[in-house]
Amino acid sequence: MAVRVVAAAPLLALVVTSAQQPPPPSVRYEQHVFAGGNPPPAGTLENPLAGDKRAAADGEKLFSAFNCDGCHALGAVGGQGPSLADGRWRYGGADGAIFQSIYYGRPRGMPAFGGVLPPEAIWRLVTYLQTLTPATDPATVSW
Amino acid sequence: MIASTLLVVILAQSATPDQWTMPAKDYSATRYSALAQINASNVRRLRATWSFSTGVLAGHEGQPLVVNQTMYVVTPYPNVLYAFDLTQEGYPLRWKYRPNVDAVAIGMACCDVVNRGAFFADGKIVYNLLDGHTVAIDAATGKQVWNTQVADIRQGESTPMAPLVVRDRVIVGTAGGEYGVRGWVKGLDLATGRILWTAYNAGPDAEVLARPETFKPFYDTGPSLGEKTWPPDGWKHGGAPVWGWLSYDPALDLFYYGTGNPAPYNAEQRPGDNKWATSVLARRPADGALVWAYQFTPADNWDYDSVQEMILADLKVKGRTRKVLVHFDKNGFAYTIDRATGEVLVAEPYVVVNWAKRVDLKTGRPEVDPAKLTGASRGSVKDICPTLEGGKNQQPAAYSPRTGLFYVPTNNMCMDYQTTPTTYIVGTPFIGLNAPYKPGPGGNLGALIAWNAAAGKQVWAIREKYPVWSGALATAGGLVFYGTLDGWFKAVDAKTGSALWKFKVGSGVVGNPITFTGPDGKQYLAVYAGIGGDWALLAGDVRSDDPADVRPPLSVMPDIARHTSLGGIVWLFAL
Repeated sequence: MAVRVVAAAPLLALVVTSAQQPPPPSVRYEQHVFAGGNPPPAGTLENPLAGDKRAAADGEKLFSAFNCDGCHALGAVGGQGPSLADGRWRYGGADGAIFQSIYYGRPRGMPAFGGVLPPEAIWRLVTYLQTLTPATDPATVSW
Repeated sequence: MIASTLLVVILAQSATPDQWTMPAKDYSATRYSALAQINASNVRRLRATWSFSTGVLAGHEGQPLVVNQTMYVVTPYPNVLYAFDLTQEGYPLRWKYRPNVDAVAIGMACCDVVNRGAFFADGKIVYNLLDGHTVAIDAATGKQVWNTQVADIRQGESTPMAPLVVRDRVIVGTAGGEYGVRGWVKGLDLATGRILWTAYNAGPDAEVLARPETFKPFYDTGPSLGEKTWPPDGWKHGGAPVWGWLSYDPALDLFYYGTGNPAPYNAEQRPGDNKWATSVLARRPADGALVWAYQFTPADNWDYDSVQEMILADLKVKGRTRKVLVHFDKNGFAYTIDRATGEVLVAEPYVVVNWAKRVDLKTGRPEVDPAKLTGASRGSVKDICPTLEGGKNQQPAAYSPRTGLFYVPTNNMCMDYQTTPTTYIVGTPFIGLNAPYKPGPGGNLGALIAWNAAAGKQVWAIREKYPVWSGALATAGGLVFYGTLDGWFKAVDAKTGSALWKFKVGSGVVGNPITFTGPDGKQYLAVYAGIGGDWALLAGDVRSDDPADVRPPLSVMPDIARHTSLGGIVWLFAL
């Protein structure tokens, strides 16, 4: 629910000011987003559990209990769904972007877990994913 | 002289050797062509004559159709249908049909967004969209005749399989064994697309359409097997999907199909045989009535789906000519079964098998090695052969009545298997598995083999470095065609297996070759290039179109990306 409040605030501002002057940009792009991905939401969501080891361990359990590993594989290294352990993000890797991917789902088959998990559990999942260290990814592969 | 020529012409037309109108060439699913212009003595002169990019990067399983001088190609998701005019230079499109397919299907397809092809009947091209719709398209104009929702994508159902059309029935099934669906087949009216019957593969007899007056299984008898062989309500999310191939015997008026794994993978959550998962079912096309069923792998512990094709042939088994179906199961056994009754006549391993010692022909049941049983309480069970990819997966074999041999694409891999307890959440995977693969004995990951199904014996084998993930084609020219994951399209001698010709097609081959006669009177070969079809085999190292998804190569194929990457190309070859 917190997400909706944050998103609504700039919209409200837009309605009030648009009669007199052009609306200010409501979204600031703070990070690179791949073409085809969604822009980060207006405002910023910060992970209240960032860096919390116990929350990360809980998140790992949730990752299995809610069948996330069925698509993204054990260790989130990628299965039918993309790798979440490679440090690269189709829909943005900021706290709020990962949260939204889980809460609302994504169009290419990521289910929305917002009705299944409370926001606090989603933050534990985000915390777990943020602890995963990307494997070395050399630009050149040679044989 | 004139009379005999006329007779030959009429026979040729009725058997349509020049066209390819259904996925497996004929109702018997032989993938055998009577065309012989290309043969063992001239195949070395075979050359590529045409190619076309489908514009889609995903596993190109399935095969084109050729009807009335037109070639029809269905792409993987988003399931575009192309109609190529074979009478014009360069084969320009007559039309293309672009359906609106729900992108959610991408996340509900366990094993790449594949499509296994279309069926031509009554002037229509009938095929499935991945998101659970069956469509019929006017073959002449490309206009949609009907579009029926048959499956519910939000429940994890999806439809990669190719339909079977018998008279005025279109028969389709659902995938989703990894999502805890309740598997079914449905019969649609060819003219309108209306759903006329639904037959579940598990559950109460009334919904399985197992009526006492018509259901006569050879081994398992008694009421409600589809319900009693599960824990209470287990069948409601028990899998048993239908994502493979269907065949049909007009004389017996039975169609045959195999079912996939029971869900979830942790067998301790579903004590019992779990009928009719991992089974072959024989039904009447008119009303779906179940006539017989046989379960290959009772209480499946290893994800041994049985959706592979059922090839119909008349073989002399133990001195008697029998009407049989021949099936190469994921579980590693090749079965020769009386297709009228469901009696197993021959069951022998066609790859390395260690989960069972043999199949008891009296009971029809495998003698399982208890050391290879799996389940969450058993931890990681080591060195099980074959893997969950199967001795063979969906890639269909071919049967040549000329040689009497079956030509079978196979895998040679073993696995460790660790399941975990899992909860059913609608629309999410119902799996709970970690199963790393390793090469089987010999080190080669695959082979194309020739199989004598009457004796249950291998005749020859061509070892391949990678799993053989394409289908096979046999021709009256004494040839067998198949493709490899590292992107070769090959022709071999049907009798001896000796290599005769090969061509590098630009991406790994997971499709099935076909052959037809062009408007110029020449024999053509067609095949798709486009590696894919299984995430576990095709780790991210073969793709370059998604910079946001980087994965290490699969341990058993660390160098596959040296030889291929994703693609989607239709190829034609001729002398």
